[in-house]
Amino acid sequence: MSATVAPDKILKELAALWTQEGKLGEAGVLRACSMTLLVMSDATDDAAALGETIAALMPQHPARSILIRLSGDGERALSERVYQQCWKPFGQRQQICCEQIEITASDAALADLPSVLLPLIVADLPVILWCRSPRLTQMPEFRDIAKVATRVVIDSAAGANATDTIRRIADAVRRGMVLADLAWTRLTRWRETLSRVFENRDTLARLSEIQTIKVTYGPGYEAAAWYFAAWVVNALAQAGVMATAAVASGAPTLRLELAGTSGLRVTLAREEDRLVTTVDDQSNCTHLPVASDYLIMREELAIMCRDAVFERTLASAAQLAVSSSSQPQ
Amino acid sequence: MLDLMPNENPFQDPLRFERQVPECVIVIFGANGDLTKRKLLPALYRLAFDRRLAAGFAVVGISRTPMSDDQFRDKMRESVEQFSEDTKLDEEVWSAFARGLYYVAGDIGDAGLYQRLNQKLGAIETERHTGGNVLFYLSTQPSQYAEIAHGIGAAGMGKGNGWRRLVVEKPFGHDLASAKELSNRLHEVFDESDVYRIDHYLGKETVQNILAFRFGNGIFEPLWNRRYINHVQITGAESIGVEGRGAYYQEAGALDDMIQNHLLQVMATVAMEPSASFRANSVRDERSKLLRSIRPMTPDEVRQNAVPGQYGPARIGGQDVPGFRQEPGVDPNSQTNTYAAVTFFVDNWRWAGVPFYVRTGKRLAKRVSEIAIQFNSAPLHLFNQDSGDPGVNLLILRIQPEEGISLKFLSKRPGSGMTLRPVSMDFNYGSSFGERSPSAYETLLLDAIVGDPTLYTRQDMVEASWSVVEPIQNVWRETKSEFPNYPAGSWGPAAADVMLARRGHVWRKP
Repeated sequence: MSATVAPDKILKELAALWTQEGKLGEAGVLRACSMTLLVMSDATDDAAALGETIAALMPQHPARSILIRLSGDGERALSERVYQQCWKPFGQRQQICCEQIEITASDAALADLPSVLLPLIVADLPVILWCRSPRLTQMPEFRDIAKVATRVVIDSAAGANATDTIRRIADAVRRGMVLADLAWTRLTRWRETLSRVFENRDTLARLSEIQTIKVTYGPGYEAAAWYFAAWVVNALAQAGVMATAAVASGAPTLRLELAGTSGLRVTLAREEDRLVTTVDDQSNCTHLPVASDYLIMREELAIMCRDAVFERTLASAAQLAVSSSSQPQ
Repeated sequence: MLDLMPNENPFQDPLRFERQVPECVIVIFGANGDLTKRKLLPALYRLAFDRRLAAGFAVVGISRTPMSDDQFRDKMRESVEQFSEDTKLDEEVWSAFARGLYYVAGDIGDAGLYQRLNQKLGAIETERHTGGNVLFYLSTQPSQYAEIAHGIGAAGMGKGNGWRRLVVEKPFGHDLASAKELSNRLHEVFDESDVYRIDHYLGKETVQNILAFRFGNGIFEPLWNRRYINHVQITGAESIGVEGRGAYYQEAGALDDMIQNHLLQVMATVAMEPSASFRANSVRDERSKLLRSIRPMTPDEVRQNAVPGQYGPARIGGQDVPGFRQEPGVDPNSQTNTYAAVTFFVDNWRWAGVPFYVRTGKRLAKRVSEIAIQFNSAPLHLFNQDSGDPGVNLLILRIQPEEGISLKFLSKRPGSGMTLRPVSMDFNYGSSFGERSPSAYETLLLDAIVGDPTLYTRQDMVEASWSVVEPIQNVWRETKSEFPNYPAGSWGPAAADVMLARRGHVWRKP
């Protein structure tokens, strides 16, 4: 492994790849790029699965992807390789290609990364940093690496302490970082389903009856539970309805229950690959596949602006988590 | 606690959620017809598959054939299996969707049909909590539109607990007077704001993208006027013939079937002024204003600026292809135009003097719909050009197939010397956004359900289009044309080339 990498050399290698591709076949190659996608992963991360996820994302979100593998302890070392990922849309002769760069970095070399990444970023297009390593987000070098990105995507469900992670990312957002949390993204289908319940005029008319919100969670869903509770509290408050929220462990995955006067009861719960919604005695179920990395990243990469609803929810979730932990059990 | 019922659902998140769709019933008149089987049901099923429809959504099919609800469900399942191009039938999704399918048999001239339908709608409203919202979709002969609207009104279904809307398919009349008469008859039951005249061209993603391209970017609009644009060519070409629709087509013709509606709407989208907002009526006001600015032609101008055509027999790819007059159901002396090319001028400050060449036809060289915007040449030719190309800058908005945008410009040929050659910069819609684009009917049905008429045609737009087309119709009806005047598989009659040559232009061969 060489001790350093030269961005100029990487760019030259990329240019050579394009020239080489252009010489193959008559139909030529279409270069597609709508962003720079930086992916940071630990050495323990499943490299093959991650490669498949990135490849699957490219047709929807063509990008120059830069995969940074953290090799952990060891000497200050960086190494790189470049390649292309191409596909042919059905019925077309022309290949579409995206550029991929893979950089391996030891922890000791993390401080060198921003200077390597800056020249490799595609000008004038958004830069998304997907940090899959909870360890890295707590390292002091992370802040400098995150500065090169227009949006940072993390996953609080991957960390050991969800409430602590929520508090830290709420701080980062307060400081101005544009941040997304995949634990929040996994809730989209749940939130959308709840929203549909209240699209019905009769149910909407009973909104003011809601008094309590109870979210129970299973392993890996604690952060999502805090978000869910905070989002419902905020939405109700926006409609002038003040309800109390409780978050507790005890469900296999996630379960929401809204209860109120006149016997109103709305529940959402996962049952295998279905989401079961119950309003009073009537229940309905929809298909709810497990949210794969591909599905949730596809959703996140479609959003380039600040997510105001998430940021409000994050602030409330952090407060809710703090106030809950300070209350006597 | 609130004393008042909230008007809006506080759980909405437009950044991430799909548009919220209200519960409703779609009543399809002509449920046994081709459009229902090929387009409407596959589109509705796909919307259900994508979870775009509310849980209480229902469809009531109406036609003369006696059928039970279950038989109708089986028939529609076959249609979805056969005609859903890119959606496989998922048993669970289908079974939930099929529970909301109902059928009422009857003749549209029979008042009893509407009474039975009214009872059915009442039962569905109670059972599926549809809130009284009903979308009536007329997929029947246009001559039946007024009668059905009357039947709906007479049975008291024009108004109800929720909203009531009416979707009608083209043609909206066959001339200006009949279009006005039809609107008047529909307005006896439905307000104009509840009448949705469907033009599936406007539902195409790439037609909508024209608005995004023009008004979402700052660099093109300053060039979008008579000072920089030399002329515009709009092509809606089909490689197939009338495919068994000879009898219908004989009555309509290319001018009425394509130019009066689809291509004039596309032209309006290309040439309209920016609207103040993206609200439905703002956009439609601008489209309508543009259509009213198209200069109506005198009979002499029609003879100079409009060319009718009809395809004759030919041999294409080793196969004999019949001419239009040899198609089943077609009069052997038919004067119907299967091709129409028209030069339009827009009398406003932006477009004065810029020709808009619009052409459409059956059995042309290939199936393609596109808009080609030719910019003026550079004022001085400083460099050699190695292709004999006049060096024009051309912006091509491709509607189908291979939707996308191309910009043609000149570039230096590598090597010594300063020789230029044309190159093309391509944006391929499908490749750049790998996601599946919804079909035009999915987009338009969803718009009608949520009450967004932006992509639907308003009465004043229909009437403005007929005002432009009617003078051409009148001259062509009075003149006996020497048909056939182009062989199947070609790019149309020579007279259409002459029409452009008079202004020093040539048709693109896309």
